[in-house]
Amino acid sequence: MVKVALKYCGSCNPQVRLGQVANHLAHLSDDFTIVPLSADNIDVVVVLCGCPRACGNKDEVRGRARDCIVVAGESLDGRPVAEADLAAAAAERLLRLRDTFN
Amino acid sequence: MAMMTGNEYRASLEGLKPEVYFMGERIERVLDHLAFVPHINAAALTYDMALAPEYEELTSTTSHLTGEKINRFTHIHQSHDDLVKKVKMLRAIGQQTGSCFQRCVGFDGMNAVYSVTYDIDQKKGTDYHARFVKFLKEVQSRDLMITGAMTDPKGDRSLPPGKQKDPDSYVHIVKRNDGGIVINGAKTHITGAVNSHGHLVMPTAALTPEDADYAVCGYVPVDAPGVIHIFGRQTNDDRKCHCALDQGNVDYGSVGGEALVVFDNVFVPKEHVFMAGEHEFAYSLVERFATAHRQNYGGCKVGLTDALVGATFLAAEAQGTSNANHIREKLVDMVHLAETLYCCSIACSCQGYALPAGSYMADPLLANITKLNVTRNVYEIARLAHDIAGGILATMPAETDWKDPKVGKYVDKYMKASAGASAETRMRLIRLIEAMTCGTALVESMHGAGSPQAQRIMIWRQANLEHKKRLALKLAKIGDQPYLVS
Repeated sequence: MVKVALKYCGSCNPQVRLGQVANHLAHLSDDFTIVPLSADNIDVVVVLCGCPRACGNKDEVRGRARDCIVVAGESLDGRPVAEADLAAAAAERLLRLRDTFN
Repeated sequence: MAMMTGNEYRASLEGLKPEVYFMGERIERVLDHLAFVPHINAAALTYDMALAPEYEELTSTTSHLTGEKINRFTHIHQSHDDLVKKVKMLRAIGQQTGSCFQRCVGFDGMNAVYSVTYDIDQKKGTDYHARFVKFLKEVQSRDLMITGAMTDPKGDRSLPPGKQKDPDSYVHIVKRNDGGIVINGAKTHITGAVNSHGHLVMPTAALTPEDADYAVCGYVPVDAPGVIHIFGRQTNDDRKCHCALDQGNVDYGSVGGEALVVFDNVFVPKEHVFMAGEHEFAYSLVERFATAHRQNYGGCKVGLTDALVGATFLAAEAQGTSNANHIREKLVDMVHLAETLYCCSIACSCQGYALPAGSYMADPLLANITKLNVTRNVYEIARLAHDIAGGILATMPAETDWKDPKVGKYVDKYMKASAGASAETRMRLIRLIEAMTCGTALVESMHGAGSPQAQRIMIWRQANLEHKKRLALKLAKIGDQPYLVS
């Protein structure tokens, strides 16, 4: 089971619907279990930021897990992704990480 | 070569032979022509302040490319701290010059080109970014002053570049070969053009495939064959040649010394070509440059306003009005308006973010808000300065009449106001306020870094209106809305 933590930036003025991305990831596969950021041995932390400022993307957050995925407005890990494709792109990235763990 | 001093910068201009025209004359020697000296002095201060211990924390930094200490004006922002320090640096220099010091435009251009060339290469497999990095290392090591040559004359604004009656209304590529490209056209309002080392030419608008030849970015030395500079007139610019006191800001002048720069079949070698036809990246380049440049205005203009508030307060003291409550309230309003602009620039810097190239840019929405506020607040600040200074701002006798053997005694007698200030002190302050708030200096706040409508377009695009609508739908209980709208 891959342990995934979701960390929001705080959502002061989100340019994308972060809840939709989070919901999509939470129901992606039985291989994943969503855990709090305070949990031990987290495999992936998905940092969900509403805009490119990426306030949630901090060393102490990334350091909680083996790997990290950063959504920051209409971008995924620094690459532009339209909002409509964001959830699918994040899911694809998460599934690829799962495969590297196996 | 290490960072230059102001005098070394001046000496570096000696070896250049730009083709410059002003008032119907070919200017053979820019360096000591009275029309240009104040602008050269202001630019020189960006060099001297980078070496001054009390300012170097803001005005110098370490190159991420070489690890060498460099002038911040040649730096690529690597953090939020860099973005904030840029604004603080601009304020600090503006306080000293009371006028535009020109060097930020090329600074912003280089930051925009750095990130966009990276993006082009990622998508197209080109090598523009490597070329630009090589060029940037040279800029940093030689401490060059580069203009940001973006604004085209645009011809008929209702038509795109390729549909213009005159194809040169926008700079475009007219010839390509293995060695480089040849460009034709012109760039307008180019700040510091005649006293820079070269021009960073960039496209001015979003472009379609039909306009691919207009998607051109490259570096052109100021004295490259075919580059012609026609220096612009400024309000009261003849005072530069005939007066001292009447100039108001005799050392640093007014605005940045703008020129129309013509590119008449100018060859740009391949190593200095950073975009040649990649039309789909023109908008990114414009947006990133505009964001960086609009970020600035709550820095430099606030620095200028610091000096203006001082001049206005001193003028009130010289006139015996400084203790009046309404004068103090108006000075408070001037400070309030200026610090609001500073808040905007600091905020857009703190809300900036990293780009794929690893460099940082300010938040586009907040940067545009900053500049749009400048188009209003600076006019209101000037109005308050005019209110406090009084009508003498528009009617004061000339310096030559004050010095005239016959009538000078009358000018001196009647220009004196309060007991503590001489007529000369009052006249110098009034002229400084005039230089900083009348004519060209004010228009620069309106149209520099783009006219207000350009900011409004960007604000509309960035305003996140759909989110705002969802918030309203929830509160008005329209439809099935979530407990928390995200």
